Amino acid sequence: MLIDVLLLMLAVTGTGVALSRQPVRQVIALGANGLVLTLLFMALQAPDVAFAQIVVGTAAVPMLFLAVLASMKMDRRPEGRRE
Amino acid sequence: MTVGWLPWVVAAWLFGIGLYGIVTSRHYVHLIGCLAVVQSATYVLLLSIGYRHGAGPPFFHPKPPGTPAVDAVVQVLVLTDIVVGATVTALLLALVQQLQRRRGVVDPQQAAPLR
Amino acid sequence: MSPRVRVALFGAAALAVLPALFHVLPHLPRFGDHPSPYGDAVTASAPVARQTQNIVTALNFDYRGFDTLGEEFILLCAVTGVTVLLRGARGEETSARPGQVDGRPVLPPSESVTLISRVLGVMVLVFGLSTSLHATSTPGGGFQGGVVIASGFLLVLLGEGYRGWRGVIRSEFMDGLEAFGAMLFAVCGFAGLCVGMPFMTNVLPLGTAGSVWAGGLMLVINAGVTCAVGGGFAVLFLEFLEETRVDPGAEG
Repeated sequence: MLIDVLLLMLAVTGTGVALSRQPVRQVIALGANGLVLTLLFMALQAPDVAFAQIVVGTAAVPMLFLAVLASMKMDRRPEGRRE
Repeated sequence: MTVGWLPWVVAAWLFGIGLYGIVTSRHYVHLIGCLAVVQSATYVLLLSIGYRHGAGPPFFHPKPPGTPAVDAVVQVLVLTDIVVGATVTALLLALVQQLQRRRGVVDPQQAAPLR
Repeated sequence: MSPRVRVALFGAAALAVLPALFHVLPHLPRFGDHPSPYGDAVTASAPVARQTQNIVTALNFDYRGFDTLGEEFILLCAVTGVTVLLRGARGEETSARPGQVDGRPVLPPSESVTLISRVLGVMVLVFGLSTSLHATSTPGGGFQGGVVIASGFLLVLLGEGYRGWRGVIRSEFMDGLEAFGAMLFAVCGFAGLCVGMPFMTNVLPLGTAGSVWAGGLMLVINAGVTCAVGGGFAVLFLEFLEETRVDPGAEG
């Protein structure tokens, strides 16, 4: 029963990640997807995997996404902005 | 009681929706996020193969060895895959960022092939 | 290829694959009833043969240690690729000024965030170390402990600010730590060859199940993987966050 609910929530958050067109919104959706994946892994009796997924899916990968998006918005060259 | 075919359908759905996001993507970083969804579909499939009703995790600290446990081999595969997949995602993000620096392109449907 | 053609091709491919999916789905084994002979055999034999209580660690570093060696080197190559791409384009020096986006305000650091990050950062680092050391007796291991240590580094960043963080987490030290971890893993494989046994045989004394020192060579490999994963993620964070600083060659 719990596994069914978590699987349906995972389908919803996965669809949310794929259909969020703006990258900053997609980062939040990725964090939520990582959290639901962690809960699903705990329900499937895999605590080691849940350990790795909660750190990677909610902290490390969204932070890398945010750093890349921030550095893409800044233009570090002195000759100005390029489209 | 858990439905017998739901994990396979959810894994197939995640794979399909992630692939659709990759095909119709307008921003390279969004494309990499959809790739993460496709990866999570494989994790769900592998761990659902190893699950057994009424069994515990493959640890024997308070319980004596011999109690039923889920399959530990698929957990090993998924565990290393999660950590290594994160670093490969970082490599893809570095490629996208350098592409934007040098060519000013963030849209996959407007990127000209390299000559 | 225009977008419509691309979506039409995707739809055509999905229509071609879907009948096969519907044909296969009823014949798949029911969820929870799938027999797993390999997993059962390892679960039955590992507590005595390897003196561990954590079957996943025994599989990761002993029974299937060669696969983990390959994954370790994938990690090393990916981190090396990121370093070559980002540091090669930018140069070796670090910058003193944070970058700014036009029209966005620059907020001063918040005191509550600094306090919480300073308290929790040290706790998370110690917890990561404990998770990685207790690989054979509790849920945990090298990969999990390494990523928890990396998240501890992120909390240190929030607590100290960028310049303080770079002063504590030195880039050369993290590079060396990651390379040391990967090399330790590879060298452990050769330890078996030196005494005439196959590659990566568990040649150290195994100890008794339940103690922290149980497991023999698995503990050394575990330490190598912790160093490599923690160092690798630290290098990734350092390189990506340095990209958000102002280019030092652009001014003056």
